[in-house]
Amino acid sequence: MEIKVLEKGDKNMRLLIKGVDTPFVNALRRNALAEVPCMAIDDVVIIENSSVLQDEIVAHRLGLIPLKTDLDGYNLPEECSCKSEFGCNLCRVTLTLDREAKEGTVTVYSGELVSENPNIVPVSDKVPITKLVKGQKLRLEAYARLGKGKNHAKWQPVSTCTYKYLPQIKIDSKNCDACGKCVEICPRKVLEKSEGKIEIRDLPACTLCQDCMDACPKEPSAIEVGWEENAFIFSLESTGVLPPERIMEEAVKILEKQLKELASQIKVRKT
Amino acid sequence: MIIPVRCFTCGKLIGDKWEEFARRVKTGEDPGDVLDSLGIKKYCCRRMLLSHVEIIDEVLRFYEEAEKRREARSYYYQQ
Repeated sequence: MEIKVLEKGDKNMRLLIKGVDTPFVNALRRNALAEVPCMAIDDVVIIENSSVLQDEIVAHRLGLIPLKTDLDGYNLPEECSCKSEFGCNLCRVTLTLDREAKEGTVTVYSGELVSENPNIVPVSDKVPITKLVKGQKLRLEAYARLGKGKNHAKWQPVSTCTYKYLPQIKIDSKNCDACGKCVEICPRKVLEKSEGKIEIRDLPACTLCQDCMDACPKEPSAIEVGWEENAFIFSLESTGVLPPERIMEEAVKILEKQLKELASQIKVRKT
Repeated sequence: MIIPVRCFTCGKLIGDKWEEFARRVKTGEDPGDVLDSLGIKKYCCRRMLLSHVEIIDEVLRFYEEAEKRREARSYYYQQ
């Protein structure tokens, strides 16, 4: 296996993975989406809400706000030693919100949530929760827990996690007269015309749409678009709860755990 | 009613970008350019902001008026 990082930001990551097959990459993708835990508000106790949004809507909006997650400091509620439905300090974080519009209309932002742990705070301080008119109040206590994407989308650490085959573009230099029609039609500007030749400028951007093959006036087409069977471009976009490389790392760890579990089950059956 | 916190389709956080988007579009900037500069690339997330109408502001007007009348009435009875 060979991995090359094509692009890495604080939220995005694009990898080129060579020498693996589809089921393997798909397992990683599914683990990143549904099995990697992250923190989100799960229970909300509303003490007072005179805003125009109902309690349920406010609670739903709170749940969807991504919280910065500390995976090493907290346990999943079902695996925590406290065995309590309500949770303990190791599997629950309390956030509170107390806001009253004293003068004029105000917007309540996620930044106004006060967390008991300064590391577990909303990813962005500027998410509007509700708007209050003079005299309206919003007071609540929210409990955040670790959870998995398979139980609710609010616990998904990634917004997009996809892979595609690595494109392979073959240009027949004998047949091609560099008319440039394929360069014009390409929606991702993969091709480039230089010194009377068509060259590939940005191969990973190709979407395999094959428009260039149709646009080629030669018969048979001088350009051919295909893909490599065992090479993938894996792209991952975090919601900001965890750094993208950490999500990938966790996905691999979980896959390893699942396989170990499977192997031990097989051993038990044999004996 | 109020801007959704996340994109309905992919789950990207978009709620925090609405106010800047609305303000810049109001000053006459091209919505497409604003979305690009906010880093919203996918069309699922772009439509969330492009097609949003902040109806909560319309609803709040009724409460603002009611509050004003209440104040006026209390002022009148004080006299």
